[in-house]
Amino acid sequence: MVTNRIDHKWGMVVDLDKCTGCQACVVACQAENNLPINTKDFFLQKRAYEWIRIERYWEGEYPNVKARFIPVLCQHCENAPCEPVCPVYATYRNDDGLNVQIYNRCVGTRYCINNCPYQVRFFNFWQPNWPERLKNQLNPDVTIRTRGITEKCTFCVQRLRRAELQVERVSGERLNDEKLKAGNYAPACTQACPTNALMFGDQNDAESKIRPYFDDVNTFDIHHEEERTTRGYRLLEEINTRPSIIYLKKVDQYPLNEDEDHV
Amino acid sequence: MLPLVLVGLIVTAIVGFIIVVLAISWFSNPPFGLGNAPPQPIAFPHTVHAGSVDQGGVGIQCEFCHRNVTKGEAATVPAVENCLFCHKQINAENQAEDTPVNLAEIQRVVDRFNDNNPIDWERVHRLPDHVRFVHEAHIRFLTQGESRTEILPIGDEQPMQLPLTVGESCSVCHGNVAGMTEVQPQAGQSLKMGTCVDCHKTNNAPTDCTICHK
Amino acid sequence: MKFTRRNFLAWAGISAVGAVGCDVFGSEGQELRLQSPVMQPEDLVKGRDNWYATLCRQCPTSEGVLVRVMEGRAKKVQGNPMYPVNWGKQSARCDAGLQALYHPERLAGPMRRTGARGSGEFAPTTWQQGLDTLSAQLGERGNGLLLVTEPIRAHQALISSRFANAFGGRHLGFEALDQTTYRAAVKDVYGQDLLPDFDLAHANFLLSFGADFLSTWVSPTRWSVGYGDFRQGEGRTQRGTHVQVEPRFSMTAASADKWVPIKPGIEGYLALSLAHVIISENLQAVSTDVNALTGGQGAAALANFSPDQVGPMLELPAAMLKGHSPADWIRELARDFAGHTPALAIGGDSAAAHSNGLFNLEAIYALNYLVGSVGEVGGVRFNPGSPIADLPAASTVGTMADWTSVAGDIREGRTRLLMVHSADPVYGLPASVGFGDALNRDDLFIVSFSPFMNETTAMADLILPDRIYLEDWGSDIPEPAPGYQVLGIQQPVVNPLSDLDPRSFVDVLLSTAQELDRDGDLPWGSLQQALRETSDALFALNRGSVEATSAGEFWNSLLRQGGWWDERETGPSASAPNGLYNQIANRAAQPIFSGEGMYLMPFSHNTLLDGRNTHLPWAQAAPDPITTITWQSWVEINQRQMEEMGFREGDIVQVRSSQGSITAPVYPNPAMRPDVVGVPLGQGRRHGPEYAIVGDDRESSNVLSILASSQVEGTGALAWASNRVQVSSTGESIRIVKFEGEFTSREIGNQIDNNPSEEIIKTTSPGASH
Repeated sequence: MVTNRIDHKWGMVVDLDKCTGCQACVVACQAENNLPINTKDFFLQKRAYEWIRIERYWEGEYPNVKARFIPVLCQHCENAPCEPVCPVYATYRNDDGLNVQIYNRCVGTRYCINNCPYQVRFFNFWQPNWPERLKNQLNPDVTIRTRGITEKCTFCVQRLRRAELQVERVSGERLNDEKLKAGNYAPACTQACPTNALMFGDQNDAESKIRPYFDDVNTFDIHHEEERTTRGYRLLEEINTRPSIIYLKKVDQYPLNEDEDHV
Repeated sequence: MLPLVLVGLIVTAIVGFIIVVLAISWFSNPPFGLGNAPPQPIAFPHTVHAGSVDQGGVGIQCEFCHRNVTKGEAATVPAVENCLFCHKQINAENQAEDTPVNLAEIQRVVDRFNDNNPIDWERVHRLPDHVRFVHEAHIRFLTQGESRTEILPIGDEQPMQLPLTVGESCSVCHGNVAGMTEVQPQAGQSLKMGTCVDCHKTNNAPTDCTICHK
Repeated sequence: MKFTRRNFLAWAGISAVGAVGCDVFGSEGQELRLQSPVMQPEDLVKGRDNWYATLCRQCPTSEGVLVRVMEGRAKKVQGNPMYPVNWGKQSARCDAGLQALYHPERLAGPMRRTGARGSGEFAPTTWQQGLDTLSAQLGERGNGLLLVTEPIRAHQALISSRFANAFGGRHLGFEALDQTTYRAAVKDVYGQDLLPDFDLAHANFLLSFGADFLSTWVSPTRWSVGYGDFRQGEGRTQRGTHVQVEPRFSMTAASADKWVPIKPGIEGYLALSLAHVIISENLQAVSTDVNALTGGQGAAALANFSPDQVGPMLELPAAMLKGHSPADWIRELARDFAGHTPALAIGGDSAAAHSNGLFNLEAIYALNYLVGSVGEVGGVRFNPGSPIADLPAASTVGTMADWTSVAGDIREGRTRLLMVHSADPVYGLPASVGFGDALNRDDLFIVSFSPFMNETTAMADLILPDRIYLEDWGSDIPEPAPGYQVLGIQQPVVNPLSDLDPRSFVDVLLSTAQELDRDGDLPWGSLQQALRETSDALFALNRGSVEATSAGEFWNSLLRQGGWWDERETGPSASAPNGLYNQIANRAAQPIFSGEGMYLMPFSHNTLLDGRNTHLPWAQAAPDPITTITWQSWVEINQRQMEEMGFREGDIVQVRSSQGSITAPVYPNPAMRPDVVGVPLGQGRRHGPEYAIVGDDRESSNVLSILASSQVEGTGALAWASNRVQVSSTGESIRIVKFEGEFTSREIGNQIDNNPSEEIIKTTSPGASH
C-alpha cells in the first residue's frame, strides 16, 4: 500500500496593484518550460505565444491616460470549457486542481483552443527548432512539444512533482508556502515576479497566503460582489468557469472619470 | 478504369501495409520489444558480475554499480572509473593467462579509462521522452513497509513476499538480469504503459497522468 | 529476417505511411545510447539538479542569482533569495543570460584580423599566438594603453585598473546612458561617493522625475521588490502614492497613480517650486532646519521659483489641470508630497540628460531634506564603502568629455593600444564623437575580449574571447548596496562546452602582467586566488553573514551563499551643506537643445537595455511593456499628433537631428506628450550574431548615432535628451512586429477599483490578520 498522498488544490492570486508589466514572468516561463523561441516571423504570422502573457490595456485620452497590465495565464478552471470538447481526453482536471494537458494523447483538433474563453491554449504550428547549442539549456523535466499538438501553462507541474518527492515523500510534511519557496518549487513566474504580484499556494491549506482571497471570493459569488472584503475577482466570472486564479483589482487613487477636486 | 479486382487488391495492400507497420511499431519498439538484445560495444556479462557465487558469479549488488538507483530518478550506468575499482587488479597484467575471465574484453574497458574515452552503450530499457520514472520511489515501495504477500501484475504474476531486497526489487521489472549474458526485456515485463497503470492501480498508487507524463 | 528497430525504420522509410510512423515513433539515434562517462562526480548524476549561487552580469546592477545545473548544463537562472540586493527575484534579462552561455554564435576561440579594419574578416589563431601578440603589443605600445570595460566594480575593476596603470595606461568603463550626473548630484546634495539606496517599501509618497526605476534605472529589480511592498505590503496601513513626472510615458509611468507630462528639461524648476511651497507654507518636516538649507533666507532664497512663475514654464496640458491653474497644481502636489511622509523624491534618466541635468537632479534630491527622509525609514539610505581596503565599491565610467578626449588621443597617436572587454563604444557613442572613425588608424592596435561579435570587436586586430560569467570567477560590491556592506561572489557554475575555447579575461590580464614583469600590484596567479585571499580577509573580520570556524569553511559557505554581507555595517549619515538651496538656485538654467522640432527622447529598452542584450532571442522576443513591439526599432508619437502629421502605424519615418537621421516605423502611443518623440535603444547593430541583426535600416536603427555630443554642464556626461528632431515620412510602410492583437482582446481582465473604499486604499491583506 502506498502512503496516502496529501490532497492539494493549487491556486494563484495575482495582485494587479503590484504588477508593473516588466516581463520577468514571461521570460522565466519560457526558460523553464522549453517554449519555442518567438521569432519575428512568429509575431508577423500571429503565431507567437507565451504561456503567461502581459496584456496591456489603454484607458482614457491624453493627458489623462492610463495603461493597465494584466498577466494572463491558464486559469486552471474547475468548470473548464476546454475539457469536455476534447475528443481524446487529452485534457482534464486532476486531483491537485490543475487543468492538465497530456501531450502524447493530444491529436491537435484545436477544439479546446477555440473553447477557451481566456485564450491561454496554444497550438504548435511548427516543429520547435533551436540552434544546436541552445538545446543545452532545455529543461529535461519538461517535454518538448512536437508540431501539431496543443500546449499550455501547467502551473510548473514538474516542480510540484519534484517537491512532492523531495518534501512530502521524505518528511511527510505538507508542501506549504514556505516549503514551496525554499525549494524553488513555486512556478517559475511566481518565483521571478519582482514585485511579488503573483502568489502561489494551496487552496486546501488554511495557512496559505492565498487562502483568504479564495474564501472571500467563494463566499460572495458574482451576485454578491459588493460584499467582498478583498479586491478579489475572477476573470469572466459571469460564465462560471471557476478559475483557480484570483485577481486583485488595481486600485485607482485618481480615477479618470472623476471630476477631480484635488489635482 | 481499373478493374474492380485491382482496386480491391491495391486497397487491401495499402490497408495491410498500414496494419503491418503499426503492428511492427507496437511490438518492436525497444521499450516493448521482446527478445531484443542489441549488440553492446563491450561484451559485459551480468552473469559474471551480478550472478551469485554458487553459480560462478561474483555476486555484486545491483546498486553497487547502478549507484543512484536508490537515491533518485535515474539508476545510472556506472562511470568507467567504477569498473576500474576491480579491474585495476583483474586484468591482463595481473592475471594468469589461463584465467577463465575474458581478458581481451577487460582490456577494452581499461583502455577506455586510460584513453579517457566514454563508453556508449546501446539502450535496452528505454523510456519515451515524455515520461518521468523515478527508480527511488519504486524501490522504496518494494523494499520498505510491513511484511505482506502481494501479486504484482508484472512478470509471472506469482505471489511475492514483500518487502524485497534491493536486488530482488530490480528483478520485478527487469527480470533476472544476473542470469543474462545479454540483457533483454522479459515476457510480462514489457514496460508498456498498461503495465505501469495496472501496478499503480493494484497498489493504490496515484494514476494521475502528470505523475508519469511530463 | 529478424526485426530490429533499425530494420523497422529502414522499412518504414519507404512509404508515406512509414514516414508518419517515423514521426510518431521515431527518435534520434543518439537517444538510443546510454553513456558511461569516464568519471562521474556526484553532481553530474542524471535527473539530479543542483543550484549554485553566483552573480548575474546581464546588466550593470549585478544581481545575485542561483543557477540550476543538471548534468553539467545550466538550465535556469533565478534570483538568490539570500542576496540582499534582489531578494530572490530576477528580471527578464537575468533569465536571458543562459542564451548568452549557449549562444550558437559565441566566438569559439582567439582570432586575428585578416581583412581591412572593420571588414569583419577574421581567421582563427591559437591562444599561444594570441597571447604572444598581446604581450608584444603591450611591450611596444603599452604606454598610453586604454582598457575599456563595461561598468565593473570590486575585483574585476581593481585588477583592470591596476593592469592599465602598470603599463602607464588608463581603465575606463563604458555605458551608453551613464549615471555620472546622478553620481555628481548625490555627491553635491548628500556628500556621498556611493549611490544611495531608496527604502521604497516604507515610503508613502513617491515623486519620481524621469527615472524609469521599475524597468532599467540603476537597480530595477531591487526597486521593484520595494515597489510591491510600497503598493500592498503586508502590515502597511496606507497604500503608497506614486507620481511620475516625465515627458515620455515609460513603463514606470504606467504603474504610477499619476503621470505628469512635463516639458523636457524643466524638472529642476518644478522641484524648486515644490520646495518654495513647502518652505513658504511651513510644510517641512519638524527635524528640517530650513534656515541652514536656505542660508537663513527661507522661501526668499527661492523667490524666482514661486509656483506662479514656474507654473507656466512646465507647459502642462490644460486637460490634465482640469480648470486649475498650473500654480495651484504645483501647490497641491507640494502639499500632497509633504503631507504623506515618509515621502521620497527621486530623479534620473531623462531629467539628468539635459544641459541643465545636474541642476535638475540637485533640485530633486534636495527635496528629501525638506520632508525629512534623508537617512530615515522610507527615505534615502546611504551605503558604506567596501569591507576590504582597495576594492572599488563604485564603477568608473567615462563621460562624454572623457570619450571626446580619448578619441582625440587616438587620433593624435597618444593612445596606440586599445583593449576592449564587452563594452561597445563604437555602437554606443554618438557618431558625432567620431570614435569609430578614430579607430581606423594603422598605428592603432585593438584587442577585443568580447565573447560575441559587436561593432567594436569588428574593428579589432585580435580577439581573445572571454568566458561568459556563468563559467568564470568574479565579485561585485553592488551599487547601490542595500544600506549595508555587501560583497557578492561570482563562481563558475558550468564549464565551457568542449567546442569552445574561451579564457577568462581577468586571468589573461594577470598572466600577461606576470609575463611582462608588471605584476608588482597584481600579486595573484588567478582571479580565483585573489578571491580566496579576500575570503580569508573577510573571515579575519569575524563579522557578517557567513559563520565559519576555519578559513576553508568560510570560503565554502561564502560560495554557497553567493556572497557576504553585514547588516550592522550601515552607511554614513548625511547632512545638508549650508545654503544648499542657494547653491542650487544659482545653478538654475534652462535646458539647451540641439536642432529644431520635436523633442527626441531616446530610452533604454526594457530587456535589450542599451543594446548589450540584442543578441539574445528571449530579450528580443520579450514585448516592450508599453507598445508590445518586439525585434524592431520604433518611433513613438502621440496618437492624435500622428494623425495630424498624417502618419499611420507602421509608416517608416525619418527622424532627423542636427547630426544625422535614422528611419524606423512609427507607433501611435496614446500616452505621449504631443511634442515628444520616443525611440528605444538597442537595435541597429550591423555586426554581431544573427539574432542581433534582425532587420534592415528601415526597421532597425541605432538612435544613439544621431545624438549631438552635447554635455551636461558640470559633469561632462552626454546630454542624451537634449536633441530636437524633424520627423518626416519616407513614403514606405511595414507591419509592426508586435504582440498586441495576437490574441483578440476581450478586455477580460480590465477591472479596476475606481471608487476604492478607505479600507481598500489602505492595504487589504487578509493574510496578515491571521
